[in-house]
Amino acid sequence: MFAPAQNNLARFANWDNFLAVLTILVIAYACLFVPNFLTSFNISQAIAGASERALIVLPMVLLIIAREIDLSVASILALSSVCFGLLIQAGMPMFPAIALTIVAGGLCGAFNGALVTRLALPSLVVTLATMAMFRGLGYIVLGSGSINAFPNAFLDFGIGNVPGTPIPWTIVPFLILAPVFAIVLQKMPAGRRIYAIGGSPAAARYSGVRIERTVFMLFVTSGAVCAIAGLVYAARLANARANNAVGLELDVITIALLGGLSVFGGKGRLTGVLWALLLVATIRNVLGLLQIGGDAQGSVIGLLLIGSLLASNAARQVFERVRSAFSYSHTRR
Amino acid sequence: MSLKMIGTLLAATSLAAISTVAMAAPQCATAPVTVGFLPKLDTDPYFQVAQTGADEAAAEIGGKAIKQAPSAATAEAQIEFINNLVSQQVGVIAISANDANAVAPALKRAMDQGVHVVSYDSDVAPDARTLFLNQAKGDSLAEMMLESMGQLIRYKGDFAILSSTPTAANQNAWIDLIKSKLASDSKYADMKLVQVSYGEESEQVNQQQALALAQAFPDLKGIIVPAGIGLPAAARALEQASMLGQVKLTGLAPATLIKKYIEDGSVQDIWWNVKDLGYLTYYAAQAVASCAITGKEGETFKAGRLGEYTIAAGGEVVLGPAEIVTPANVDEFKF
Repeated sequence: MFAPAQNNLARFANWDNFLAVLTILVIAYACLFVPNFLTSFNISQAIAGASERALIVLPMVLLIIAREIDLSVASILALSSVCFGLLIQAGMPMFPAIALTIVAGGLCGAFNGALVTRLALPSLVVTLATMAMFRGLGYIVLGSGSINAFPNAFLDFGIGNVPGTPIPWTIVPFLILAPVFAIVLQKMPAGRRIYAIGGSPAAARYSGVRIERTVFMLFVTSGAVCAIAGLVYAARLANARANNAVGLELDVITIALLGGLSVFGGKGRLTGVLWALLLVATIRNVLGLLQIGGDAQGSVIGLLLIGSLLASNAARQVFERVRSAFSYSHTRR
Repeated sequence: MSLKMIGTLLAATSLAAISTVAMAAPQCATAPVTVGFLPKLDTDPYFQVAQTGADEAAAEIGGKAIKQAPSAATAEAQIEFINNLVSQQVGVIAISANDANAVAPALKRAMDQGVHVVSYDSDVAPDARTLFLNQAKGDSLAEMMLESMGQLIRYKGDFAILSSTPTAANQNAWIDLIKSKLASDSKYADMKLVQVSYGEESEQVNQQQALALAQAFPDLKGIIVPAGIGLPAAARALEQASMLGQVKLTGLAPATLIKKYIEDGSVQDIWWNVKDLGYLTYYAAQAVASCAITGKEGETFKAGRLGEYTIAAGGEVVLGPAEIVTPANVDEFKF
């Protein structure tokens, strides 16, 4: 008789919802107890600060689910911003320069993808190498200097809000791409192929999935999205230089894993990762408002990740017990 | 599900929009305000010592000095903290920039929100701040390092430079100045710069490079080390190899880190009172907040026990001349 309610409860018991509840609790706490959290300036800057991570985590989720990883994301971001800066400096109009930059990012991704799929090298090693290489290229073409002169429209995009809202323009590319990634991953055949590859490459191959092609496209996508992130970063900081976004790859991977992805692939959903993104951005913002410095913030995020791993292990057992209890009562009835 | 999630995001932000706090362009404070210090790095002892000066000044004239800094010395990390400080509605942000241009848009946005901005230690783009509190003039530092080396080796013999990284802008400018001074000033006619090496901001590399220089040039009389981490490292390495004294050192580093070598006469140092930089910055920040000064050349303000300062061209205020640290005055330096 209570079965529908119980089923709902069982369906509710998963990692995504746990993160959602945690995030909402943190936001509620911040709204009530942290002075100045709920100002439009703070909200809009906190969102703007997460723009690049939000973008890059999208393809990273797909890669990790497919048992791959891309450590070169922050370096592609830096190289793309340098590339865009040089094109603008050379007098190219803004939109062609943006298009070329995204193509360049895609080519970086294609280079990663080709090494991984054609030469069957592990992506961890390949992208560890290209992480150094792409940033190195940035230093070679621009040195340690920076380019700061950009078209006004580009700079307005970097610092302005969507009129009448506290939503910064820099998050708009993410707001457009996130539903696309969600639909592809959760609703389309391509998404099912990605899960299949991550779940069992051999089984995927026998059922006709062209693994190399899918993985190659994932790396190209990652490169192109990193280039978009590079543009966002260059606009936000009015700055194109080779050391842009050093270390960002680890932040992105942290968010992905906190979001419930497994390092062994095949598991996790975009929803959980987006909650993790919101959670980490909120915690960093709140700690900052409470005048806690960067090192302590890093420790808190690290603890959160370890805690979440332990919690997810414990939670899985609890969830499974809950589910089996309900399904048991279900069958008995 | 993710659509729902974006919906949540939008709902949260529109909620925030309703509670918007009215903001104004920089206004003139009638009482001492809170000054948010934003150094390059959270744990850097240099800024911790500077902060003690800011606290001392705050105790004298009221207001509050807070300090917040990132764990990575990058512009991006600093921007988050600029925004944090604006959200906390501090009166003035005092920043030591990791990247002069990259933090400028965020600082300008802070100004739009009614927050004044000054820079200290490391400047930002001039249109993004009112004042720059400079600890020492770069030209004078280069001259003083060369003069100190001259004193140590009696203006005669081979010496080398162990710099920071090949791309470090300050250091490269100093090295150029030293070279042109060597060529033009007859006082240094008998001194010869034999090599410029790089310690790469690493203790180990500095130690290796110091030893390598001493071995490669048997007649080497001294090394100038214009980088804070390099001078103590080079001194330790040479001491362990029993070559310190035979090879003299000078450069830029916190005096307390190399006090014992300074006392035995084998090392000198060019340094300034770091605490006073924080003290001066706090006084200057309060003067800016109350609109007593606007950053124009020739304006003056009082900085407590340090006396009166005049703003130079480009909104720059120089703390004072650096000093050559010798056994005679080493005890005056608390950092």
